[in-house]
Amino acid sequence: MNSALPKAERGRPRVLRPVAHKQRLGRADRTPLGRWFWEIDRVLVMLVLVLVAIGLVSVAAASPASAQRYSDLTHIIAPLHYFWRQVIWLMIGLPLMFMTSLLPKDRARRIAMYAGIFCLLMMFAIPLFGSEANGARRWINLAGFQFQPSEFLKPAYVVAMAWLLSLRNLDRTLPVMRISAVVTAMIAVLLMLQPDFGQTVIFAGIWMVLMMLAGISGRLIGVMIGLGVTAIVSAYAFYSVARTRINAFLFGEGDDYQVQAAHNAITNGGFFGTGPGGGEAKFRLPEAHTDYIYSVIGEEFGLMSCIAVVLLYAAIVVRVFVRLLDEEDDFVLLASAGLATQFGLQAVINIAVNVGLAPSKGMTLPFISYGGSSMIAVSAGFGLLLAFTRRNPAAKRSPYIVTRT
Amino acid sequence: MTTAPPVAKPTRLHVPGRRQQVAALSRERLMLVMLLFLAAILGIVLKIMYLTFTGQSFDDRAAGLTSLPLRPDIVDRNGETLARTIDAWSIGVHADRLLTRPEDLAPQLAVLMPEKTADQYLALLKSRKHFIYLRRRAMPELVEAVNALGEPGMAFAREPERLYPQAELAAHVLGWTNLDGTGVTGMEKLLDKRMTDPKYAGKPVTLSIDSRVQAAVEKELAQAMLNFQARGATGIVLDVHSGEVIALTSLPSFNPNDPGRSPPETRFNQAITGVYELGSTFKPITIAAAMDAGVVTSLSKRYDATAPLKVGKFSIRDDHPTKRWLNVPEMLVHSSNIVTARIADELGKDRLNGMFMRLGFGEPVSIELAGRGRPIQPVFWARTTTMTAGYGHGIAVTPMHLAKAYAALMNGGIMHPVTLLKREPGAIVPGTRVISPQVSYRLRQFTRMVVLEGTGKQANAPGLRVGGKTGTAEKASQGGYARKSLVSTFAGVFPVDDPKYAIVMMLDEPKGTAETYGYATAGWTAAPVVRKVVARIGPLLGIIPDARKDIPLEDIKPLIWHPKEGEE
Repeated sequence: MNSALPKAERGRPRVLRPVAHKQRLGRADRTPLGRWFWEIDRVLVMLVLVLVAIGLVSVAAASPASAQRYSDLTHIIAPLHYFWRQVIWLMIGLPLMFMTSLLPKDRARRIAMYAGIFCLLMMFAIPLFGSEANGARRWINLAGFQFQPSEFLKPAYVVAMAWLLSLRNLDRTLPVMRISAVVTAMIAVLLMLQPDFGQTVIFAGIWMVLMMLAGISGRLIGVMIGLGVTAIVSAYAFYSVARTRINAFLFGEGDDYQVQAAHNAITNGGFFGTGPGGGEAKFRLPEAHTDYIYSVIGEEFGLMSCIAVVLLYAAIVVRVFVRLLDEEDDFVLLASAGLATQFGLQAVINIAVNVGLAPSKGMTLPFISYGGSSMIAVSAGFGLLLAFTRRNPAAKRSPYIVTRT
Repeated sequence: MTTAPPVAKPTRLHVPGRRQQVAALSRERLMLVMLLFLAAILGIVLKIMYLTFTGQSFDDRAAGLTSLPLRPDIVDRNGETLARTIDAWSIGVHADRLLTRPEDLAPQLAVLMPEKTADQYLALLKSRKHFIYLRRRAMPELVEAVNALGEPGMAFAREPERLYPQAELAAHVLGWTNLDGTGVTGMEKLLDKRMTDPKYAGKPVTLSIDSRVQAAVEKELAQAMLNFQARGATGIVLDVHSGEVIALTSLPSFNPNDPGRSPPETRFNQAITGVYELGSTFKPITIAAAMDAGVVTSLSKRYDATAPLKVGKFSIRDDHPTKRWLNVPEMLVHSSNIVTARIADELGKDRLNGMFMRLGFGEPVSIELAGRGRPIQPVFWARTTTMTAGYGHGIAVTPMHLAKAYAALMNGGIMHPVTLLKREPGAIVPGTRVISPQVSYRLRQFTRMVVLEGTGKQANAPGLRVGGKTGTAEKASQGGYARKSLVSTFAGVFPVDDPKYAIVMMLDEPKGTAETYGYATAGWTAAPVVRKVVARIGPLLGIIPDARKDIPLEDIKPLIWHPKEGEE
């Protein structure tokens, strides 16, 4: 504190000045940052920071495995290559999250919608200019960076759909549901062209949740579930990647190497884990640092850590949903719930794949998996969530309680 | 979807109270979505719990994966383990990942694993190969010592290893497996298919061998081999009624846990691969054939043994010349070549050879092991061939042939196929009659007399009623016979009053000792082994020594002429 004082004042007897009462981020602080600090859901921020910390340790654990896997004779990847890269992504992602959360709701919404339109255009561009990896065309090269538009589209899509659906209560004649269905179907088609079955499921899931929250009838929910089942069945029937994966999962037929490798890794450490760096099965994992990082956590830090991680995701989602129970703004309710759903659904699907409850599909674990697009998109999405869930604490305080003197 | 209301206009529908309704519905739906989400979380937590309790560690699985399924055990007839698969260690090195200087590491390795020199280790370490095995089947202490060198490039892995806990016991029966777990010889090779069949995973193979009997046979034979400085020794114990091999050994033997370390000659199984002229042990076979054919009309009929028998340029002589006329029991008791030759001559080539064929001397013994020796038969049957074959010269069979023949001749006359696999109790054993029960009975009497009064006296285990015949044959060498190189055999059954087990003990080139007055003949070398072995294994096999029991010999004893005191 002392050193923060102007040089001239150092060493002098301290004089209490009025400004000393108005501490930084104190309740009296009326600057945007001060307001932000009191309005933000600090519990949520804390939970996310814990998750980020876990993620960094996990990437450090998974990095040698992936580095060995992707090294060859001419090109050797340093064991902690992915870890240091992840640190860089975090250094971009976390400030982005806080900056986004500083945005006023309206501006956040507007920026998100512009970003959404941009990403959608990129999605259209992928079949033409996209770059391919592992038999899927999902990435686009932009100014030397490779990024995955669908990752960034997810939060923007949620915001746009929330805005669209919230219009329904203003004007019931607007065909908002039809528009949302058309947009979602279009995105789904673009995704299946890549192909990316996992993301399609996420988008469809978010859309269904948003529709439910927007108050569609129970009968329509039934119809949508029927459509969902039909979609999965037809994906199985007409889409070979989905069919082989589902077959491998259901009947253990064909190449179940990924499923088996994940099972081997996640169970190798038992309940308490082999300890950091003690994992052996992780070296046989495909994509140890991204899709199967949860298995690495299981091997090195034990199934107890797996349970802790899944409970952390549950806590984040529940925290958001519970706080939304008394939310009166339709847009905020839909956008927040949608963003939380996106976050939670992605985590649940990734973990379900890792523990062998779902067929394998490419999906990252938010804030834990390595990956630039994923980390930055998730950070931005969570920043939006934090921005939308900001609340003036004074508004809820009982007027009848007298604060201590 | 909401359709436009029938009332024309207003475009903006704002129903009072609707907001509250929608808000309530939203809350309900929020709770519903949250519950669905929590259900998914619960499912995941339950699955993780399930994995906690069912998951195997990587090591366990690796052991299972490399040799799926684990090779089943081999046990003896009483369930004692003879071969099993255990988890062992291997030591390897990732030469491309060394942190220590190879120059420093190599001498340390040479100290711990002296099978290679420091220079050889240095060459390996400098090869920069990704992985090199340094030692498979390493002891845990060695693994610990190598690990203590602190070189992270060393690799230790658990590998399934075939262990023979009884070491050399029944080694020739068991054989061994190579490092990949494939049977190389013995029953391991024969059973390889069954051993790797998932259907039989975890189900041990039960051999007919009784490891207690096997141990006694091996111990006594090894002792005799040492005593008489024999080149080799063979022992077989056979169940005369089921054809099960209770013990089978061929010494010197090897340790199947490390077969490479024993000299190659130890892997030769004399019991089933080696063919020998087994000499006088053939005499009971010739007598059996003659009696069965009716050539021997009376047991009191005497044959001239006063002088060596001259046939052409051959001369057949006795080892213990009696220089008198002998009847059949006397011929066996004194092991007279001359009388056997005369009877064989009377019997003729066809009937003698017919008996040999019926006893299976025309082909390798049908038993599970590989490398079964094919008997050597006379190419041309001259008159002398028949005469000498009658006392076991000019025809060579394996000891297993002999054991099988004795079992058939003594058990009442029925020959059973021999096997190394345990037969189910009460199983019907196939068999063919080779001689009549009456002749079989007489043979038991005769062989008992050999043990009581003849060359086989030293085989007489007290109370265990051993009956049998000695056989001392000179080894064929360079067109003639080597007088000093003997194959001393004793073949017999016990107890003769109710035969249960056939036993054949053979010593290859025993040397006489002071105790045997320099004799290396079967009566002095093989017979004592039989006595010792039967004394040990009889009670184990449920045969109680009983001095009052014996086969009735009242009709035979008077036929044996004993010189009065001081005569001869």
